[in-house]
Parts: sequence; C-alpha cells; structure tokens
Amino acid sequence: MTDIDDTATVVLNTLCDVLKEPVDDLRARPVLAVHDWDSLASLEVLSQLESRLAVTLDLRAYHAARTVTDLIDLVATTAATNAAIGRRG
Amino acid sequence: MNDVTELLDDLREAVAGQAAPAPAVRRRLARVEDPAAVRRAGRVLAGLPAATPDLRPVSLAVLATCTIGPFEHLLRAALVATGVQPALHLGDYGTFDLTLAAGELAGSPDVVTCLLDERYFLPREWSATDPDGLAAHLEDRFADLRGLLLASLRRTPAALVLHTVPVPARLRESVISWRARAAVGRAWHRLNADLLGLAGEHGRITVVDLAGELADHAVAARDDRLHAYADLPYTDGALLVLARQVARVVAARSGLSRKVLALDLDNTLWGGVLGEAGVAGLQLGGLYPGNCYQDLQRTARRLREQGVILVLASKNDAEPVDEALAGHPEMLLRQQDFAVRAVNWSAKAENLRDAAETLNLGVQAFVFMDDSPFERGHVAAELPDVAVVAADGDPANLVRSLLRPGWFDVPELTDTDLRRPELYRSRALRTDFSTGFASSEDYLGALRTRVAAHPVTTFEVGRVAQLSARTNQFNLTGRRFDEGATTAMSTDPAHLVVSFAVSDRFGDEGIVGAAWVECRGRIWWVLNMVLSCRVFGRGVEFAIVDWIVRRARENGATALVGRYVPTNRNGVADGFWEKAGFTPSGEDGTYTVVPATAPTCLPTWITYLDTDDD
Repeated sequence: MTDIDDTATVVLNTLCDVLKEPVDDLRARPVLAVHDWDSLASLEVLSQLESRLAVTLDLRAYHAARTVTDLIDLVATTAATNAAIGRRG
Repeated sequence: MNDVTELLDDLREAVAGQAAPAPAVRRRLARVEDPAAVRRAGRVLAGLPAATPDLRPVSLAVLATCTIGPFEHLLRAALVATGVQPALHLGDYGTFDLTLAAGELAGSPDVVTCLLDERYFLPREWSATDPDGLAAHLEDRFADLRGLLLASLRRTPAALVLHTVPVPARLRESVISWRARAAVGRAWHRLNADLLGLAGEHGRITVVDLAGELADHAVAARDDRLHAYADLPYTDGALLVLARQVARVVAARSGLSRKVLALDLDNTLWGGVLGEAGVAGLQLGGLYPGNCYQDLQRTARRLREQGVILVLASKNDAEPVDEALAGHPEMLLRQQDFAVRAVNWSAKAENLRDAAETLNLGVQAFVFMDDSPFERGHVAAELPDVAVVAADGDPANLVRSLLRPGWFDVPELTDTDLRRPELYRSRALRTDFSTGFASSEDYLGALRTRVAAHPVTTFEVGRVAQLSARTNQFNLTGRRFDEGATTAMSTDPAHLVVSFAVSDRFGDEGIVGAAWVECRGRIWWVLNMVLSCRVFGRGVEFAIVDWIVRRARENGATALVGRYVPTNRNGVADGFWEKAGFTPSGEDGTYTVVPATAPTCLPTWITYLDTDDD
C-alpha cells in the first residue's frame, strides 16, 4: 500500500466515523455538503485527521475542500510537504 | 489492534449492550493521553442510556464564554471514566451571561460547569502603556462575573464549577517593557486568585486551577487558529486536562471517592525486601532512593490526616514488619497508623476482601498500591472494583502515581473525615470487646450506645449531604439530596431534615445517619433515610425511625409513610420498614404507620441523648 492509499484510508475512515455514513456511500456521493458536513462535523474531522496523521492543515485550504477526494489530496499534500521539510531539517 | 482501537471497541460493545463499561475499561479510558482518542470515546459514550446500572447519574450543564465544541465529548468521557453517567445540557453560544442572570438552567442540573476564556475578561482595546487601567478592567469584569454567579446560586440548588484562565501569551508578549509585563502578569494572576477565592466565599462553588494544572502537563494551552476561526480558545489537550479535573469534582460530589489506601511494604513503602535485607538494610530516608519512599510515607500520612484509612497489605512475616515499623528511625508510618494490618502470606485479594469486611466497607472504597505486577494483576482480576496503582519503576514517581488520579478527593473535609481513621481503629477495638458475651444483646447493652438526634444545623449540612452522596447500602430510596437541596429543605417548614449522631463507650462516631421528611399536612413522608455502614448491626436505624415517629406524633400527623426502593446495593435494608412496625400499603414499596398508636421500636440498649428539637 502506498502513502496516498494509507492517507485515503484514514480520511475515509474518519469521515465514516464522524458522519456515521458507510464508506460506499461516501464513495458514491463524494460531495461533502450532501452529508451532515456542518461546522461541528468539519472541526471534529479536522481534529481527528491532524491527530492521527500528525499534520497541521491550512484551515483556508481545508474549508475549500469540496469533496472527499479534495480532502484526501489536501491531507496527502500536507503530509508530503511536512515529510520533505523533516528530511531537509 | 492498537490500545485505542481496542478500548473504543470495548466502549462500543458496552454501549451496544446498554451497559456501563466495566471498571477496568473505565480505568483504561482514564489513562488515555491522546485527546483525539478521548474525543472519539466521548462520542461513542453519548449512546449510553440515561440510566446505566453501575454508573452514578448526574445532570450537568455546561455554560461557556466561548464555543463549547469538543469539551462536551471530552467531559463525557472523563465523567464515565470516573463512574458518572452524565446527562449533559449545553448552553447556547453567546448566552453565558444571560443564562446565569436569568437563572434558567435547562435540565435542573446538579452541577453547572463554566468554561471561561480570556476574551470574557479582557477589554477589546487596551493600552500597553497603562497596565493599571488593564488591571482595573480585569477587576471590574471579575466583579461582574462574581455578581452573576452569586445571583444564579440563589435561583438554583446546583453546584458551580469554575476554573482559572492561563495567562494569554499575546497579552504578556505585546508589552515590551519588563516592568509593565510584570504588572500585566500580576493583574492576571490576581484575577485567577480572585476566581480561586470564590471557592472560599460560597460552599457550592468549586474552582479548578486550570492554569496551575497546565503548568504541569506537556500540552499547549491555546490553539490560535481555532480560536480565530471558531472561538475555540483551548487545545483539545488543555480541554482534556480541564475535563478530567471537572470529572474529579463531580465524582467527589457524587460520593465516588475512595476511603481506604492499602499499601504494600517491600519496594513500595520502603526500598528493598525486608526478608532479605533486614531492617537495617531497608532504603528509607536520606538520599535517593530512600528519600522517595519516605516521601510516599509522608504522603500517606498526610492522606490519613485528612480521613483516608490506611491498610497494610504485605507478604511478609509479621514480626520483622512490626520491628521495622516500631524501630526504624526514618519510618514515618507506625503500626497505629494502619486500621488493618494484613501482613501474612495469603493472597492479597483475600486480605483486601477481609480488610473490607473488618472495616464494613465495600472493596470499591479501596485503592491498592503495590510494586509487583503479579500482585496488581491478581487483585485487579479478583476484585475489579479496587483501584490499583503501580509502584514499580522509578521510586521518584511514587507520590505522583498515587495522587494524580485524585482517588480520595472530597468537596470539603468534614469533622467525620478528620476523625475517620480513629473511628475505624475504635471499630477494631469494639470487635475485640465483643468476645465474651452470652448474647449479642448483652454485648450491645454493655456498649452503652447513645443516639443524638435533632433537625440539621447549618454546620451539619455538609456532613449530611456527604452521607446522602456516599451511602449506598442502608439507603432506603436511593434519592440523593446534595448540600443545596438539604439546605433548602432544612429551612422549609414543610420539610424536616434530621441528623443522627451515635456514641458509645469507645467514643463518638459523629453523625452517621440522616432522614429527609416531607411534613406537609397530616401525612408525613420519609423521602429518604440513610445510615453509615460504620454502625450497622447495632439497631441505630430503629432508633432513627422511632425518633421520627415520636416527632410525627407530637405534631399531630395521622400517618407516617416510608418507602423502600431496591437498588443493586441496598439489599441490606430490604424488609426494614416491616421490622420497624410499618405495614405495607397498597402502593408499591410504601409502608405506613399511625404515629398515635405505633409501639416504640427503640432497641432497649439505645438511649437518646440531647433530643433537643429546636
């Protein structure tokens, strides 16, 4: 499994957990707004993702994410950037 | 499967079965350090039913000067971990002042916890060149808050829990002169000192020192990003620290505190193994590591001073242990400090069970501290209600390991707390005295038991409320009247709250029983009656009910009604009303007597003392 697969799994599991939706539903209807994606749920997901993946997401980019895929891409990119900074450091 | 996943699965299983998580699962939850995991646990536990056997139900309102957000989940998880089943009522955003001013609290909460942040106290604009002006503003804001809190306490019997607020870094750092920075810091610390002072001002206010706690935890206090975005000033880590402190307060108010500390000796109360090193070879006092063991003894002694009963639980020969306790020059704890000394080669679980029986307390009142993983594991398996503390690892951590969970917290110390260790020693002496009598009546007669009864006074309300919270066995209806409710009833002519104190030839037990009676009209109702397990088997419960019957008769009551509501702990009181001469009435669990014609049920070996009714 690649890093992006790992990230995708964590993002999907977190969304399932917080939104109480089966993963197939999220895949079939990936636009977050069609689920109970309110401010409380989005903050809960943010907290869980930052804790599980040890990343700090840019809030502006986080709120711009419209779909599950956008969210996976954002988290993966942030994780890769953090890793690169870590390697340089 | 990692520890958190396993814990969450255990919690989900409990929720699915609509049952309380097992004590061991709750203690694992109490140890989780990752706030995100605790948040998840709190969300899972929201599915528990309102009434869960084995958890103490508490209605709790959360009011906040900011967004409550994750504090809800963290608080629920922390409360369940301590044995409380919370019904949480969350105040709406932006309604903190209004809710306190109107005193309209949803759900008639037992406890109101207030989540405070710096914006509540700070002016929108302030001048860095005028620290005195800032200090004056903080004082004014505190005065506003104090006024609101004291006014709300007049309208609700609930207890309030507040906290100190850590100094905002941006406040401190935006002042560039060190002199002014010190003045700003001083003003903020004074605000926190004023907040803490509220606890001394009103018995129903408790203040958690969050700022002090955070100084001892490796977590950031604030999250600037979420503060700016969602008015969430604190990090999840800081909120978890606060939630656990609030849970300790609620648990203590709910009578879930432990009363007994059972301690191992070798490598716990002293370093080394007595049987191998001998008394002279023990590590105790002086330099490291002996100073760490002595610190633990000092801590245990301090707990004893505050009413915690000490028990020795050691696999050793008794004689050298007595020699060490009596003769070692650095020993701070001596034989007489322990209410029970179980020094033998029996299994420790068995010894703890016996000690509980001797003290007439449940094992859920026990904390057991031992360095051996085997002994801890065995006790945990045999007696899951006993709280187990690890004493292995670096002895420098012994005191922190024992104190950090707050097992023995109480809202405030009563006279009985201070005397409890002596009372339990008297109990052991009484057991010795009981040998050599032809019948138990002879024995009880020789004890010369005296009961003092009177309507509860202001000074006794705290102890009576504590009895209500802590008494599980002889608790006839399970209804718990806290300090607020007891105070209200004690000043209401339609209610009577009575305290009962017991003394005998061995000493004064203090207040051990209480009754809450509704005396509106000609029919009197005993709302609840509780009796400490310390005086079981002496007929004191009959003296209490006899006193109430007399009082009802004097006041012209035509009937006195009592009730027994079975709980999973009060089987000892089953059949009590009938034994006291009451007749079952048609309604489920109620019993009646006509005071005018009721024969006395006062045991012949008990006399009333000081039955001043005024």
